[in-house]
Amino acid sequence: MEPLIRLENVSFSYKINEQTKVPVLRDIDFSIYPGEYVAIIGHNGSGKSTLSKHLNGILTPDNGDVWIHGYNTKNVNQKRAIRQTVGTVFQHPDNQIVATIVEEDVAFGLENINIPREEMRQRVDEALDVVKMSPFRHRPPHHLSGGQKQRVAIAGVLAMRPECIVFDEATSMLDSFGRKEVLQVMRKMNDKGMTIITVTHHMSEAAEADRIIVIEGGQIVMDGPAREIFKHKHELEQLQLEVPAVSQMAELIHNRFAEFSKDIIQESEFIEEVVKLSKEEVS
Amino acid sequence: MSSEFEISKRITIGQYVPTGSFIHRLDPRVKVFAFTILVLAIALNTSYIGNTIGLVLSLYLFWVSKIPIRYGLSGIIPAIPFIVILAVLQLLFQGQLFSHGKVYVDYGFILITSESIRLVVVSAVRFVEIIFLSSVLTLATSTTELTHSIQSLLSPLKKIKFPVHEISLITTIAIRFVPTFAIEMEKMMKAQASRGADFGTGGWWRIIQRTKETFPIIIPLFNIALSRAEDLILAMESRCYTPGGERSSYTTYQIAAKDYLALVTGLLFAILLFAYPFPI
Repeated sequence: MEPLIRLENVSFSYKINEQTKVPVLRDIDFSIYPGEYVAIIGHNGSGKSTLSKHLNGILTPDNGDVWIHGYNTKNVNQKRAIRQTVGTVFQHPDNQIVATIVEEDVAFGLENINIPREEMRQRVDEALDVVKMSPFRHRPPHHLSGGQKQRVAIAGVLAMRPECIVFDEATSMLDSFGRKEVLQVMRKMNDKGMTIITVTHHMSEAAEADRIIVIEGGQIVMDGPAREIFKHKHELEQLQLEVPAVSQMAELIHNRFAEFSKDIIQESEFIEEVVKLSKEEVS
Repeated sequence: MSSEFEISKRITIGQYVPTGSFIHRLDPRVKVFAFTILVLAIALNTSYIGNTIGLVLSLYLFWVSKIPIRYGLSGIIPAIPFIVILAVLQLLFQGQLFSHGKVYVDYGFILITSESIRLVVVSAVRFVEIIFLSSVLTLATSTTELTHSIQSLLSPLKKIKFPVHEISLITTIAIRFVPTFAIEMEKMMKAQASRGADFGTGGWWRIIQRTKETFPIIIPLFNIALSRAEDLILAMESRCYTPGGERSSYTTYQIAAKDYLALVTGLLFAILLFAYPFPI
C-alpha cells in the first residue's frame, strides 16, 4: 500500500541568527498509511511539535523530504493540495477560531478553497453533526467551553474532507471532560477510515492509538504498536515518559495477584480483566 | 470587590438587542446603505423643519424596531458636553460667517444673528439625530451582519485592487478577539492585584498615576496578543488561507420586497431632506 505521509531523512533546525542554529529534528524516517491511528509522544522539547508542523508543510525540512501522497511539501504550488489532504487541529482552542459565529468559522476553510455555496452548506452541516455541535451553530465562539471550541476547530478541519488530521496537543488545554469529548470524536473518525495522528504527552491518550512513535532529541527512538511500546516501561522512564495510569495500576495489582494481567493499556481492558477474574473466583 | 475585575461580563460587543422586529429582519446591506444616505442628507440639511422631520423619523425608527428609547439616550449622554461646547463656540465665534440674518447681538467680536442661532440649533439637533440613527442601526444589526454588509457594499472597490475582503476579515477577527482579550485582561489584573498592585484607587484627575497603573497590564497583553496572532496565522494557513486568493462566501442575503420598501423609503426621506426647499 502506498503511504499517505512519507518522511525521508528529515532534518530541521531553528535559526537563531546567522551563526547559531538549534537542531530540532535529525534524520527522521517513517511512513504513515491510510487509516492508521498514530500517537507521537515525547517529553517537552523533544521535537514532536516541530515534527507535526512538517506534516502539512507549515515547516519544510532543511534536509530530506516530506511526501504527502506524492506531493513534496517543499513545492510551494502544491501547498493547497497538501493542506487539503492533511488538516491540523492546534493546541489552543481560542487561537484557531477566526469567525464570530460557529458555522461561519467551520466554513472558513471552505471559503478559502472556493467551494460553491450549496456544497459548503452541506459540508458544514455534516461536519457539525460529526462533532455534535449542530445545536450551537449560531452561537459566538466565546460562549462555548474549551472542549466545545476544540470540537468546532475539528469541524472546521473536517469540513475540508482531509484524508488525515493531525492533532497537535489538541487536548492539553482542556479539562478531563473536554478531553474525553475530543478523544471520542477522534476515535469515531478513525473508525470511519480517517487517518489520525495525535501529538501528545498524555499517555492515556496515546494508549488509544494503534501505533506509537516515541521522539527523543529530535530522533525516533521507538516505533511500534501501542501495546508493545508500553511494555518498555524502563526505557520510557529514562525518556521522562511513563506508561498510562491504568498500566501502572495493573502492574501494582499484578505484583500482588500474579493472575491479574499487567499487559493492560486501556481503562476498558482493566474493567474487563476485573470482571473476568471475579467471575472465575465465583465459579 | 470582585466585580471591579469582571471586565468580560460588562463587555457588550456591538450592542445588539434582539427584538426580532421589522428593522431587525431587514437585509443588513439595505440598512447600512439607507443609514449612510440618511446621515448624509441630515448632515447637509440646514432647515428647522427638515431637522424636525429627521428627529421624528429617528424616534419613529426606535419605535418600529421595538428598542427602548433609553438605549438611544444612553448614547446621547456622553456626547452632551461636546454638543454644549460646540454650541457655545458656534454661538460666540461663528456669527461673522452668518451675518446676513437678522442681528440680535453685536458686541465687539461677538455677533449673534438669526442665522448663527439656526446653525447652533440645527447642529445640536443634527448630532442627536445621527446618534439616534446609528444607535438604531447597531442595536438592530449584529456585528457579524454589519461586517458582512460592509464587505458586500465595498466589493465594487475590488476592481481598483482595494483589499475589501482582507479588511473585513481583519474587522471580524478583531471583533472575535475582544471577549478573549477581556478575559485575558481580567486574569492579568487579578494576578497583579494579588501581588499588591493598585487599580483605579487614584482619582480620575490623577491621569499620570492612572496611566502608570495600566502598564503592568498593557505590556503583557501586547505580548499575549502577538503570540496569539502567531498561532492564528498557523491555523489559518493550515486551512488554506491565501491572502488575495479567490474565495467563495458562506453567508448570503436575499433581498426581499420588504427590503426594497425600506430602501425606497430611506431614499425618499434622504431626497426630501436634501433637495426640498423648506421655508424655515
